[in-house]
Amino acid sequence: MTAYIIRRLFSVIPITMGVLLLVFVIYRVIGGDPAVRLAGKNATPQKIEQIRKTFGYDKPKFFNWQEAWQNTKPAFAQFRMEFARYRSKEVGVGTVFQAGFRLLRAPMAVFDSQFWQIVRQFAQLDFGKSLQSNQRISRMMADGVVPSLCITTPIFVIELFVAIALALLCAFYRNTWLDRTFVVISIVGMSISGLVYIMLGQYFFSFELGWFPVWGFEGVNYVLLPVAIGVIAGIGGSLRFYRTIMLDEMYQDYVRTAFAKGASHKQVLFKHVLKNAAIPILTNVVVAIPFLYTGSLMLESFFGIPGLGRMTVDAIYTGDEPVLFAMVFIGSVIFVIANLITDLCYTWADPRIRLQ
Amino acid sequence: MLIVLAFHATGCGSSATPGGRPGEMVYYGEGGDIKGFDPVRASDVDSALALCKIYEGLVEYDYLARPYRVVPCLAESLPEISADGLTYTFRIKKGILFQDDPCFPGGKGREVTTGDFIYTFKRLMDTKNYATGSWIFAGHVVGVDEWAKASEDRSKPTDYSRPIPGFEAPDRYTLRIRLREPYPQLLWALTMQYTFATAHEAVEFYKDDFLNHPVGTGPYRLKRWQRNYRMEFERNPTFHGQLYPSEGAPGDREKGLLADAGKPLPFIDRIILYNVREYYTWWQMFLQGQIFTVGISKDYFNKVVNADLELTPDMVKRGIVLRKEPQMDVYYLGFNMEDPVGGGGKTPEEAERHRKLRRAITCSFNQEQIRETYAGRLIPASGPITPGTTGYDPKKIYPWRFNLDLARKLIAEAGYPDGKDARTGKRLRLSLDMGGAGDAETRQLGEMYVGFVRQIGIEMTLNFSLQPEHWRKLERKETQMFSAGWVMDYPDAQNVLQLWYGPNESPGVNHCNYKNPEFDKLYQRILTMQDSPERTAIYQKMADMIVEDCPGAFMFHRLIYALLRDWVVNFKPHDFPYANMKFYKVRPH
Repeated sequence: MTAYIIRRLFSVIPITMGVLLLVFVIYRVIGGDPAVRLAGKNATPQKIEQIRKTFGYDKPKFFNWQEAWQNTKPAFAQFRMEFARYRSKEVGVGTVFQAGFRLLRAPMAVFDSQFWQIVRQFAQLDFGKSLQSNQRISRMMADGVVPSLCITTPIFVIELFVAIALALLCAFYRNTWLDRTFVVISIVGMSISGLVYIMLGQYFFSFELGWFPVWGFEGVNYVLLPVAIGVIAGIGGSLRFYRTIMLDEMYQDYVRTAFAKGASHKQVLFKHVLKNAAIPILTNVVVAIPFLYTGSLMLESFFGIPGLGRMTVDAIYTGDEPVLFAMVFIGSVIFVIANLITDLCYTWADPRIRLQ
Repeated sequence: MLIVLAFHATGCGSSATPGGRPGEMVYYGEGGDIKGFDPVRASDVDSALALCKIYEGLVEYDYLARPYRVVPCLAESLPEISADGLTYTFRIKKGILFQDDPCFPGGKGREVTTGDFIYTFKRLMDTKNYATGSWIFAGHVVGVDEWAKASEDRSKPTDYSRPIPGFEAPDRYTLRIRLREPYPQLLWALTMQYTFATAHEAVEFYKDDFLNHPVGTGPYRLKRWQRNYRMEFERNPTFHGQLYPSEGAPGDREKGLLADAGKPLPFIDRIILYNVREYYTWWQMFLQGQIFTVGISKDYFNKVVNADLELTPDMVKRGIVLRKEPQMDVYYLGFNMEDPVGGGGKTPEEAERHRKLRRAITCSFNQEQIRETYAGRLIPASGPITPGTTGYDPKKIYPWRFNLDLARKLIAEAGYPDGKDARTGKRLRLSLDMGGAGDAETRQLGEMYVGFVRQIGIEMTLNFSLQPEHWRKLERKETQMFSAGWVMDYPDAQNVLQLWYGPNESPGVNHCNYKNPEFDKLYQRILTMQDSPERTAIYQKMADMIVEDCPGAFMFHRLIYALLRDWVVNFKPHDFPYANMKFYKVRPH
């Protein structure tokens, strides 16, 4: 188990690097020159060039072959010379080792490039500064993560429990008017854009009735409406998903056996069906966890929640690539860890599963 | 529980719903995203508006006077300018204090001296600060370029004790700026936040976090700032004091704008600015009185403004006032002059044909139709010079205004009768790049352009990109035609004419990559000319040259329609309103 966990944790490295590479290609290779944005409106070409040089935007994108070659050539010559001197007993073996070490290090300059600079920086958990706000990104993320979680966590938890409870109810009363009503409600709910819920909810409950504040993040009453809207907007899809899982289980042989043995409906539903449905539920839940951190863009924008969702979308629109790199990096790390937790939970939910 | 703890942890909830303390005058508005409070780094409008509440410079705009003029702020008077226009001598007011802050010994703000301005100017030129406003002095002031060059060495900190010959401090309160050649825009440039007095103690004390801890001399100080959400300013108790102007432009007295003449500023005790992203939310907050002003989006225009472009009775009843403000900006469709189809051309004959093609395309654009689509919120442009600027002539008739007959004649002369290449018979196809991908208004406008050129037989494809991608294409000269705009930094036509100056080609601001030696010569000349009828005539001549060569089709200037609560008084529209909050007043409501 420990070896498995360590192995999975190591998989963070290629996955995050792959994701960073993708974002790098989109923004730095296909995308624009960040130096121009940094230089401002009336910048001269000289100023842009100076910023390019300062931030390393003038370096090769992926591999600095030129620099590596320029370093390796003299290092190799030096090594040959030191080796010749060693053979003629002019210097000791230590000097040759030193020259050899320099020769080995010289080609490493190939990594003196824009992409590897980002990788090195992120490996030290230094996310740098935002091009737009000049703020340290780690600080921006720290500021934004709590408001985002204040919205997404309650939505996630409430939606999960309500959807599972309703799904069990549907499974229990399958093919009755109650089941059909919930199916219709969930389809209607899924068919309506989240934006409609937000705009209608904000207009009626905040503007017209004044039950909630229109905008802001000043107290618990400010998040009640966005959370309620988030739950209502998302519950249709979750209900449909969990209902299907529950119904799948309800037709299994073990359920028939349980009923035949005289188990009550309550026992069958909560002891057998729910437990056997745990694997797909867990998968669905854990996949959603990384999105809790990225926040909810629309709810945050409309209700003035200073979270990470707004920050990320702003970064996309303004081309603030350091923020995007950081968000993607953290997102991929969380995703890998969440998947690892899922695997661990599988062993708990289903003792037949062994992690190897 | 999580949420309750979160509010406790983030400090939210300390000041709940909007509402001032008894007797307190509070202004609620929209603050936008700002780039922090470091004057040398903040180049955007939102940041400038926030900074100018806290920091001040030597001079500022006269709030009421029109045309715009500069008046002293931290300077005692306007500078003495030497006869050759190369030396500006400012006397700084005595007794101006930086606001109290822990960065000063004992937390008490000290007096501002000439040294603070020289320090600020050096920060602006220090390349390690990536100052977006260094263009203000670069190439103009004696010794700044050399000093900036020396600051490029990243292996050691910049030596601020090294003097810049062009900035002299004969005594504690006298600042002398020596120029390499006359620079008539200097006073306008000094109204910008980049040059506002900064205390070295604050920069050294807060280091990297200085942009979050402004320490200025202005009427307000920052009380609380939650990035991405809310800014709160309160009255600076050590503000040096300033009086409301006693003179204004004609008509100001009748509008009640001089009722507070001679009274001490600022009037408002506290300013709270929210960062509201969605117009829908903004609108509801405005109607509820939670914020005091709002622009009118195209979708809401007909609901609040009637056919006579006046406010509807319902809005009037709610105590809402309509603001109509022409903007100092110009929007145009640029032609990439390096493009083989419509560019400058390789031979004089080709250049002439291409010029006729550009003119034909321009003649096909129906400005009036665009204006109607935008419910009259645009002023058709007749050239590069913006309204409110010397050299702008509102009566000027654009020679390439909508005229389909002329357009068809010109396109035939250009070698494309009915939009088809006379040699190959193939239809002419052009591409237009526009920023603002995903924006319905931009798409609608783009479709209109396509429809216009189709009338003269041209097929136009539209490429929409997000703004950063659009800039990238312009920087790399990858467009054939593109939409662009320019908002003036100061009310001097030189600021917009630089868009057509050859050496400023992409990645500089001349995205049309227009090159005309005669124009460039005139541009170099105006750079050193003081405001005079002769300079204005040159501006007009330069504008005519651009219109004649047609590297861009000038489309419109914006006419901003906005709503204001009638309890906000002393409000006068201003193109550079950055430091104007101190003049506003909020009536009890």
